[in-house]
Amino acid sequence: MSTAGTATPPQQALEVGGYVVGLGFTNDGRVAVATGAGKLVFVTGAATAASITGEVAVHRGASLSFARDPAGDAFLSGGDDGRLVRVGADGATGELLDTKGKWIDALASSARRGLIAASAGKQVHLLKAGTVQVLGPHPSTVTDVSFSPDGSRLAATHYGGVSIHLTDRPGEKPRTLAWKGSHLAVRYSPNTKFVATATQENAIHVWRLASGADMQMQGYLTKVKSLAWSADSNWLVSSGAEIAVCWGFAGKGPEGQPPLELNTHSVGATVTQVAAHPTGPFMALGFSHGAVEIADLEKKRVLPLAERVDSPVSAIAWSPDGWRVVAGTESGVLRLVDLKPKS
Amino acid sequence: MTSSAATPIPVTVLTGYLGAGKTTLLNRILTENHGKKYAVVINEFGEVGIDNDLVVNADEEIFEMNNGCICCTVRGDLIRIIGGLMKRADKLDGMIIETTGLADPAPVAQTFFTDDDVRAKTRLDAIVTVVDAKFFLDRLNDSHEAEEQVAFADVILLNKTDLVSAEELNAVEAKIREINKYAKVFHTQKSEIELDKILDRGAFDLQRILSVEPEFLDEHHHHHEHDGEITSTSVTIDGPVNPERFRMWISGVLREKGQDILRSKGVLAVEGEDRRLVFQGVHMLMDSNWGQTWKPGDARTSKMVFIGRKLDNDALRRGFLACAQKR
Repeated sequence: MSTAGTATPPQQALEVGGYVVGLGFTNDGRVAVATGAGKLVFVTGAATAASITGEVAVHRGASLSFARDPAGDAFLSGGDDGRLVRVGADGATGELLDTKGKWIDALASSARRGLIAASAGKQVHLLKAGTVQVLGPHPSTVTDVSFSPDGSRLAATHYGGVSIHLTDRPGEKPRTLAWKGSHLAVRYSPNTKFVATATQENAIHVWRLASGADMQMQGYLTKVKSLAWSADSNWLVSSGAEIAVCWGFAGKGPEGQPPLELNTHSVGATVTQVAAHPTGPFMALGFSHGAVEIADLEKKRVLPLAERVDSPVSAIAWSPDGWRVVAGTESGVLRLVDLKPKS
Repeated sequence: MTSSAATPIPVTVLTGYLGAGKTTLLNRILTENHGKKYAVVINEFGEVGIDNDLVVNADEEIFEMNNGCICCTVRGDLIRIIGGLMKRADKLDGMIIETTGLADPAPVAQTFFTDDDVRAKTRLDAIVTVVDAKFFLDRLNDSHEAEEQVAFADVILLNKTDLVSAEELNAVEAKIREINKYAKVFHTQKSEIELDKILDRGAFDLQRILSVEPEFLDEHHHHHEHDGEITSTSVTIDGPVNPERFRMWISGVLREKGQDILRSKGVLAVEGEDRRLVFQGVHMLMDSNWGQTWKPGDARTSKMVFIGRKLDNDALRRGFLACAQKR
């Protein structure tokens, strides 16, 4: 497709040598890329003339999960070798957990409380300052974890719904949010009012935490794998359709209302990954053919950012300052886009 | 659309009752010097004695799809495990999924029809069932899983043949044929078999079923009063089908009888198309793809096979024959 008439922002593509599992930014602005080759690859963050500055071997097999370390300039990678490894921006590594081969499927961290949650099978390992506590077993394998914004609670999703744990009382029985079916991702809303899950069955499910009332949003083209709340909690955006599906949570909420459906520039491709801008009403969208676009939730339009590369976008992230977008594909192509206007 | 050029990875599902010889076979796959890279997904009670990166423990989490289809159960853990294996940088030559002895093979097979990612990246190559020649007839009496595992099979290893007499072996094989006439049967001892006979065979491609003509067995087994209730039947049209009429008919059959029909397979000729239309179903789920090209001199016939309970052979025959392309 053509982007004629739209000035394309400065951008660059480069190969990182493996399925892109997760993306983060170091304090000095480099990009950290966790890959299916079991490595953490560091890339200069500048959108033009980006290059690989170093790589660290982390796992024997693939990295399966990735998160920012809750303290310091470092990242966490969970692997199919059962190891949870901390990798500093300087490349120094340290093993935090070894599950003896149990895959570490999901990771989350809370900078507020210095907590790490790592799921392996039906259990979630809750790490704080060198101590490890085990949550669960849950009813089935935990597929994703999400901390509440203040870190006081951890949502773990599995077959049949979500378990909400109190992080300072890990031995206590979790609160259960039940919905039959296989849930693939879970996200706390930034205002702590909602918990949303993406499900295998082409739908998303949302609970109001105060009342426990829940709602089901369906009609997606495929299963939903990626979910993101806008920074102001007014919008919940999801993958799984050819358009950007944005559910409005301002005011009375989405009950009985159709979602805001924004047409994209990628006809025939579905959204595979979404990421919310750290402060503004913007959502980065990655597509099944590798294109990257941005949804402006206020102006209700979508702008193209990077062209297709014929492999699905498997991870996408914003820089902490919100001026850069980085996206990676299953085939290992990394794209960096700089949105900052030239002064 | 997306054009990931990667060819789908063939997946072999390994079933068989407890003690039939699955673990022996898996250990051989993992230790033999075949130069191939296989990921092996073992069940939670699996006893594979090899510590290997590519041996993955599965907990056999079965869940119902909320799609209104009452028999539609899939293996959630397989979707997750296949997703994880696809992230690896090393290219796999194949994947073998072991199920517990008591498992119904349907949820595993149905997973390959249901999940988009699994469908895009893997291909169900064959269901291989290991049968214990000595105890199979006893198992049939005390568990219906043993019968279903044979019914679902594309390939059967009739194992431990050294532990039975020739007459006993014949009786077991005749019983297997009553349930499933269309599987390829190999006689083995200690699960010894050349791996290319069971892995990446394209058995689910089903080209073979056109050439399997087991009618000769019927002459000896024309009594249909046997106690096992699963049977198999086939119908052939001496020419192409009308694809639209076939689609209407098969959807109706599987919607109404899909609970009883365990497997349906077909290789069909379509007018004006040089490739075979290959059809496969597990219970109510179905899928069809273009298969190999007809060669000059091939008889372009269309054949359907059904394996299931309470099959109404006459109705299936009449229904399929009515799908013939009018000339």
